[in-house]
Amino acid sequence: MNGAQHILKAFHRRDIDTVFGYPGGCIMPLYDALVDDARVEHVLCRHEQACALAADGYARASGKLGVCIATSGPGATNLITGVANAYQDSIPMLVITGQVATGLIGTDAFQETDVLGMTLGIVKHSYLVENTDELPAILEEAMELAQSGRPGPVWIDIPKNILLEEPAAGPDSTLSEPSSAGSPNLDDAAEMLRAARKPLLYSGGGISLAHAEDSFREFAECSGLPAVVTLKGIGNAGKHNPYNLGMLGMHGSRAANRAVDECDLLLVIGARLDDRATGKLEGFAPNARTIHIDTDTAEFNKLRQADLAIRGDLNAILGKLTRTLREAPLTISDWQQQCRTWGTTGGFQAADNEEPLAPITGPSFIRQLSRIAPDDTVIACDVGQHQMWVAQHYQFDRPRHHLTSGGLGTMGFGLPAAIGAQFANRESTVINVTGDGSFMMNAQELATIRRYNLPLKLIIMDNQCLGMVRQQQELFYNNRESHIDLNDNPDFVAMARAFDIPALRIERTDQVRRGIETILAYNGPMLLHVAIAREENVWPVVKPGGSNREMIDETRRFAADKKEKTA
Amino acid sequence: MTTQSKTPSYTINCRMSYEAAALERLCQVVRVRGFRIAKMAVETADGALDIALTVQGARPVAMLQSQLEKLHTVAEVQLATPVTASRIA
Repeated sequence: MNGAQHILKAFHRRDIDTVFGYPGGCIMPLYDALVDDARVEHVLCRHEQACALAADGYARASGKLGVCIATSGPGATNLITGVANAYQDSIPMLVITGQVATGLIGTDAFQETDVLGMTLGIVKHSYLVENTDELPAILEEAMELAQSGRPGPVWIDIPKNILLEEPAAGPDSTLSEPSSAGSPNLDDAAEMLRAARKPLLYSGGGISLAHAEDSFREFAECSGLPAVVTLKGIGNAGKHNPYNLGMLGMHGSRAANRAVDECDLLLVIGARLDDRATGKLEGFAPNARTIHIDTDTAEFNKLRQADLAIRGDLNAILGKLTRTLREAPLTISDWQQQCRTWGTTGGFQAADNEEPLAPITGPSFIRQLSRIAPDDTVIACDVGQHQMWVAQHYQFDRPRHHLTSGGLGTMGFGLPAAIGAQFANRESTVINVTGDGSFMMNAQELATIRRYNLPLKLIIMDNQCLGMVRQQQELFYNNRESHIDLNDNPDFVAMARAFDIPALRIERTDQVRRGIETILAYNGPMLLHVAIAREENVWPVVKPGGSNREMIDETRRFAADKKEKTA
Repeated sequence: MTTQSKTPSYTINCRMSYEAAALERLCQVVRVRGFRIAKMAVETADGALDIALTVQGARPVAMLQSQLEKLHTVAEVQLATPVTASRIA
C-alpha cells in the first residue's frame, strides 16, 4: 500500500466519504488511488479556491471535517483564500497538497512553491512530510488536530515520491490527549449573574463549533437572559426566544447595541469580541463586568479584560450553569421587559412593499424568502450588502443553517460553500444568496452544480455595483464613488442557461413571491436574478472605528441631510 | 528606529519540536502579534529546540505568550518577567 492509498485508508477510518479537489501533476498518485476507491466521493470543483470553500461549507453545515485536495504550485496557492477563510472562522478542515519530489524541493522545480512557508499564518498547524514512514501518523494527527479544541485548518504538503512509496507500518497517531481544562468552578460565574441587574448573553460561532447548540439553547431558555449574537452566532438562541435581540455590531440591531451599552454584566460565550461586533472598544459595554467562556485561552483578555474567564468544554459548562440557574432562577424581570421593549422598537424592521409595481428592496425580499423557505433551509451567503440583509432579516432557528464568511469576509464564498452544504445535507433546501459582485468571483462553479445535478437554488441580488463599498463611499468618503460600478454585468439568466441551469429574472414587488416559490418548487438547480436599486443601503450602520452607540440609521441620515440643506 | 529603546522588552524561553519550519512558525507569531525579535538563541536537545527570545513590543506580552502556547509543536513557554494575569477558572 503506497502513501496515496494510506491517505484513503485514513479517510475510511474516520468515515470521511466526501472530499473536494482538483487534480494536477504532483498529486496524481492520490488521484490514481481514487480510481479504485468506492468509499470516498471526490467532488471536482472548477477552481481550487472553490474546493477549499466547498470543504468549508461542508464542514459548517455538517459539523464534520471538510477535506480539500490540490496539486503543488498554483493548485496550492489557489487554495489559500479558502483556507484563510476557514482559519478565520475556526472551521475544521484537512488540506492535502502534492509537492514536488523530495529531491527537487528547493531547486525551483516546475510547480514548486514553498507552501509550508507561505501558509504559516492561516493554518492551525501544517506539515511537510519529509519521510515516507511518517505519513500515517501525520495523517491521524492532522485529522484529530483539525477537529479538537478550537478547530481549524491543518495542511499536509506531501512530496510526490512519498505518495508513491510504501510507508512502514507505524503508530497511527502521535497526538497526545488534549489537555483537559478539568471541571471549572462555576460558583463565581453564578454569583456574578445573580448580583447583576442587567445581565446580557453574548454568543458567537463557538457554540456550534463546540457542538453545543442544544446546551446553549437550554441555557438561554432556562436563564431567560436577554441575548445578542455575533454574525456567526446567528441562530444560537433560536427564532422563538422572546429575549433574542439579534445581531450586534456594525450592522446590528439598535436593540442589541443598546442592550450591550446598558448591561451591567456581559456573559460572553464562544465569541472572540471581534471589532465588527464591538465597534470602538473604549465605548463597548462601558458599564459591564465580563465573564468570558471559551475553549481557547488565547481569546481571554485579547481585546477586553475579563473579570472572570472560564476555559473548557462549552457543553459541560453550559449544562452545569443551566442546572445551577434552574435551582435558583435569576430575578431580572424588569431588565427582560426593558429588552423586549427595545426588541420591539429597535429590532430589525423592514416594511413589506405594498405597491405591486415598486422596485424590490433587499430587506423585504429577504423577509419574504424567510417566510417561504422550508425550516431546514441552509442559506449560504456571500459578502456584502445582501449578507447583512440576510443576517438582519432572515429568521434562523439553528446556527448551522446560516453559512457566512465572518472573519475573512471572502467574496465568492457563497456558491462553493452552498455546494459543500448540499453534499452535507443532500435532502435539505440549500440556497446561495449572493450579490452580483460576489457571484462573479466563483461563477465557474455553476459547472459543478450541473455536473452533480445539485438541487441548489441561487439568488443573485443585483444592484449592478459593489454595494457595500458604494455605501461606505457614499457615507464616509463624501460620496466619491471609486471603481464600484458593475453595470456591464453579463446577462445572468443567459449565463445560467449556458450551464444548463434554468433561470428567471424579477424586478417588481409583485413578482417576488412567485419567483421564490418557482425556484423552490423546481426539481433541480435554478437561479433567480433579482434586480434591486443601486442606491439601497444597509441600515443601521456604525462608522468603521466608531462606537456602537453612534449608529446611523436612514431616518437620522436624511434628517441630517435636510438640516444641512436648510442651513 | 529611535523608539526602540522606549519599547518594553521581554525575555521568553520556549521549547518546541524540531520540525520543518519550526523557527519560522515561532517568528511569524511573534511578528504578527505585534512584537519584534531583538535577540534569539537556539539550541537543539533531544529532538527539541530550546529557544531564548528577547522581544520588544508595546502590546501585552501575555497575549504573545498565549498565542505561542497555542502552537501545536510548542511544548512550553516561560516568561522570564512574570506578568500579572487575570483570573482564569
